[in-house]
Amino acid sequence: MSMFRAKKLDLGCFVNIRVIRDHTKRKVFAEHEPERQALRYIIRNLSLPASTRAKAQLQLTQMHCYTRPSQIRNRCIEGGKSRGVLRDFKMTRYNFRMRALAGLVPGVKKASW
Amino acid sequence: MNPLLSSTRAQLPDPALSRRQLSDSASQLPAAVDSQSNPSKHAYTPAPSHMDPDELIDVRLPRAVQAVYLRPLRRQAEYGIPSCDLQMRSYSVRNLEFFADFALRAAYYLGLPASGPVPLPRIVERWTVPRAHFIHKKSQENFERKTLRRLIQIKDGNPETVQVWLAFLMEHAYYGIGMKANVWNYEKLGVGKTMDASMEELKKDLDSKWSLIGLSRKDAVAEKVLEMIDKKTFMRGREGPKTRIDPLPLNPPTYN
Repeated sequence: MSMFRAKKLDLGCFVNIRVIRDHTKRKVFAEHEPERQALRYIIRNLSLPASTRAKAQLQLTQMHCYTRPSQIRNRCIEGGKSRGVLRDFKMTRYNFRMRALAGLVPGVKKASW
Repeated sequence: MNPLLSSTRAQLPDPALSRRQLSDSASQLPAAVDSQSNPSKHAYTPAPSHMDPDELIDVRLPRAVQAVYLRPLRRQAEYGIPSCDLQMRSYSVRNLEFFADFALRAAYYLGLPASGPVPLPRIVERWTVPRAHFIHKKSQENFERKTLRRLIQIKDGNPETVQVWLAFLMEHAYYGIGMKANVWNYEKLGVGKTMDASMEELKKDLDSKWSLIGLSRKDAVAEKVLEMIDKKTFMRGREGPKTRIDPLPLNPPTYN
């Protein structure tokens, strides 16, 4: 959603629209996290009146989807791919292999045991 | 390299012999090393600059320089109470061994009894990835990363000296080596009372530190809850029946 997107590019890695989108989602989620948690707390608090909790439920469902943590997906810093990303290196398996063979990943060697 | 150094390296006394003698008399190094081996042959005379290079070979190195070629000296721990555990990690044995050696020497010259380097079990991580960028899962390749670890333990260290030692190592940090240190301080009996007394002075320093420790996010949530509950929309439903029949006190939100 373009209204959340930064006016100026604020990323230094490989950039395509999907990477920018994911980055925006991370920022929006971080910004709205207290609000989400507050609503979740109200919803689960049994000492509050039912209508208050129902309203909190409504409000939570009406929050923008970018504020949800489940929207965030790890992406490759080299090619922006979302599948097969190794968490340890933030890279897809193929990019990791190329860079590891070139000796660009510290300490990683071809294994043989 | 300095020609004097390189040419005289062959002239060093037998390393095993001198190592034993050096470590036996570790506490009074300068006096002891002067009296060791053959004093008539190795007596130190400052070499004049016009000397023939062949004669220079016979000039003995200063003991401190000589010690660089030998195993690091150590001090004996009197009581054996641990005061600092330094763990170093690296992917390269060479760098790690070199820096562990450096740390031991630094500890010796600061007067800290050090033990180690203890080779801790290495951490092996492995990844298996397909060779191709697309399908062909049957052809894969293995990669691994071995993290090597060394532990140096300081015993009976004066807390300030230990801090100096750690700061010195930080200042001369070597590339590709991570360090972490556990430091123990010991107090006299009746710590509680002394701590109570010094609490007032510490309060200012502590508050600035505590503000950095992660309670701020939880506070943000709690404030948000109070802010929302006080809103009119939420207040309107207040008179209605509670979800639970027995009324619970409305406490400010707490998170575990």
